[in-house]
Amino acid sequence: MSLVALSELLGASVRDASGSVRGRVREIAVAPQEHPTRIAYLIVKTAEGDRVVPPAALKACGAAVRTVDEAAAWERYAPSDGVLLLKRDLLDQQIIDVHGRKVVRVNDVELDSTPTNSHIALSVVSVDVGTRGAIRRLAKGVVPSFTLRALLEKIPPRVIPWQYVDLIETDPARRVKLKIAYEGLSKLHPADIADIVEDLPPAEREAVFETIDEEVAAEALEEIDPDIQVSIVESLDSNRAADIVEEMDPDAAADLLGDLPEDRSGEILQEMEPEERREVADLLAFGEHTAAGRMTTEFLAVADTGVVDDAIEALKSFEGSREAVATIYLTDSTHKLTGAVPLVRIATSSPAAQLADLAETHVTCAPDTPDDEVAALFDKYNLITLAVVDEHGRLAGIITADDVIAMLRGERG
Amino acid sequence: MLFLAVVGPGFVTANVDNDAGGIFTYSQAGAQFGYTLLWTMIPITIALIVVQEMASRMGAVTGKGLSDLIREEFGFRLTFFVMVTLVVTNFGNVVGEFAGVASSLELFGLSKYIVVPIAAAVVWGLVVRGTYDGIEKVFLAASAFYVCYIIAGILAHPDWKAAAFATVTRPQAAGIRSYGYLYMVIGLVGTTIAPWMQFYLQASVVEKGITPKQYAASRWDVILGCIFTDIVAWFIIVACAATLYANGQHDIGTSGADAALALRPLAGQYAYLLFAAGLFNASLFAASILPISTAYAVCEGLGFEAGLDKKFHEAPAFYWLYTALIVLGAGVVLVPHLPLVYVTVLSQVANGVVLPFVLIFMLLLTNDRELMGEHVNSRRFNVIAWITVVVTIVMTIAMILTQR
Repeated sequence: MSLVALSELLGASVRDASGSVRGRVREIAVAPQEHPTRIAYLIVKTAEGDRVVPPAALKACGAAVRTVDEAAAWERYAPSDGVLLLKRDLLDQQIIDVHGRKVVRVNDVELDSTPTNSHIALSVVSVDVGTRGAIRRLAKGVVPSFTLRALLEKIPPRVIPWQYVDLIETDPARRVKLKIAYEGLSKLHPADIADIVEDLPPAEREAVFETIDEEVAAEALEEIDPDIQVSIVESLDSNRAADIVEEMDPDAAADLLGDLPEDRSGEILQEMEPEERREVADLLAFGEHTAAGRMTTEFLAVADTGVVDDAIEALKSFEGSREAVATIYLTDSTHKLTGAVPLVRIATSSPAAQLADLAETHVTCAPDTPDDEVAALFDKYNLITLAVVDEHGRLAGIITADDVIAMLRGERG
Repeated sequence: MLFLAVVGPGFVTANVDNDAGGIFTYSQAGAQFGYTLLWTMIPITIALIVVQEMASRMGAVTGKGLSDLIREEFGFRLTFFVMVTLVVTNFGNVVGEFAGVASSLELFGLSKYIVVPIAAAVVWGLVVRGTYDGIEKVFLAASAFYVCYIIAGILAHPDWKAAAFATVTRPQAAGIRSYGYLYMVIGLVGTTIAPWMQFYLQASVVEKGITPKQYAASRWDVILGCIFTDIVAWFIIVACAATLYANGQHDIGTSGADAALALRPLAGQYAYLLFAAGLFNASLFAASILPISTAYAVCEGLGFEAGLDKKFHEAPAFYWLYTALIVLGAGVVLVPHLPLVYVTVLSQVANGVVLPFVLIFMLLLTNDRELMGEHVNSRRFNVIAWITVVVTIVMTIAMILTQR
């Protein structure tokens, strides 16, 4: 296996079987539908126009490119949407480095050129985002090639293996043809996805949010700066936006919709499932800077007559955020809040223990409690969650500590 | 109030244009040629609007910075070349701004060995610790401070009728044939349209998150900014013409501070103070913007990590370049007996080399339908833009060639 850089191949002269120069390499194409890494063909610029040379016809592929057949046998090149052109689509463009979790610009692409049987197998190995690729491109044609190679040997490479590269394509149709699904990106922590997305230009952000799984999109969206959240959701069509907003925490969804223009948030609410819509709409009705505006309506409430096993069953089927399960709330038959059991006590008690016996003193606040008082309660009682109860003592929602941290940081921000 | 809703990046960028070098050029133009150069103000304003509008539109439509676009469309080698020359010319400008800070405060009796390091620290801290919205407010306040020059112009009691007449009539043929006159015309254009402004403006539009939908307001931001900037320039020329030129004092020395000193006996104490304070404001303002804008443009174009939200070890190239521009730029001013004129010449030559590339790239980019969609230049706009760009390039090259 020997590595050859894309910038070395571009512009290299191509000799056919007769041994005379027939053209120069103009582009190198990968067809992701057929194979994710293998080079489908080289586009060679000849005096008669652009021609296609598949790797099967290559005898040598490096500083000099030779083919086994005659130039007359090369097919005419017809542009296609379904191929990735390495120079146009990759060189100098931004990509997502999934392993390093950031957005980087491509300086060069490294290809593997291996002789097999009677021809060359050519495939993409990695993208170069470091000084080595930069210097190679600067010095190409200025410094003699063997001096340049010796010089480049001394520079430590900074490459990203091809499997960790996520391309950014803003055209949805082309994204499908090129099989770009942001699989690597989707596996990252939502907070890392958020950081990456914030570094992208608007059209590229939209591309990511149109493509990735709704649940992942929702979690990532919650972590993104509110201004950028708004611009992303505004750029998506209402249907897709509703799908994502449904998956968000109701309190985060309400905050987001509250920041959108009214007609737009109305459209998105229309598209949402009735149950999620009701929850979010209720939250939207409260002021943003009150306990009700901060709370989530997805909490764990169990009948106060139950035992630990009932709480564990409820935990298993709970779909809300993990922060919310730090406390299990107890309610009576009229939904009045009667107690609170920390998760640790559930974990350390026998399955048959009465929940009411495990309950500890609980702190509550009214829905219209302002932000600063909410924060003061968390501070004073060292809370992880705080119950919000209505005038009848019924549990309306809970506020979790992470929301308070976000709120305090936002104020200073 | 509508005005305040609209002003933003375009207004700030246009105003920074009236920096230490600009103020000196306008003062010299007024002192040397009286009102006879006022006719250049209208064409220069149009040219400035045309160029800035392209940068602002590109930012709103693509959401990318100018150096990103140059890199993506024109490749690594050209980008590298543009970035290196940009650093050279901007470094010269930074030195000029710190020299402006030093000389303006020396008029108030403060030693440059104290004020320049303080100014450098303030500049560094303001940008590193501030947010975009906060900094924009500071910058808009600094822009408002340019009113100093308008008041100074009024205090100089110019012949309003003659000045207004000179602004709208075509120039005297005899003047155009003189070398010094032409040289000054070129100087006025050169000081108004600079490469860094395009990078800074486009980056600010992107950072503010302006979308194509909001772009109509941004266009007004650019237009109002350019007009206000050139009104200030007009008043500087008028102030110097009504006093220095009218009294036969045709040469003011080598800096904006010298202009203020020359004005003192002729225009009075207040005009002198306003000139000096205005110069300080303008220099510090430009010194705050140039290093950070350069660091962003270069790192984004060459693919280094950039951004104030990153830690030093995450974006070393960005922080080193930013810090070096400020420390060296301010440091050069403090070296005794260093002939700053060589730094200025080097900077102007680099400016002349890089400006044609930047302007032509901008024209090609704003005509690229794949990039700009429906927001490509219209045919009529293209005619004006190409004339502007060609004239500006010819004048800039002429400026380098005549540089002694």
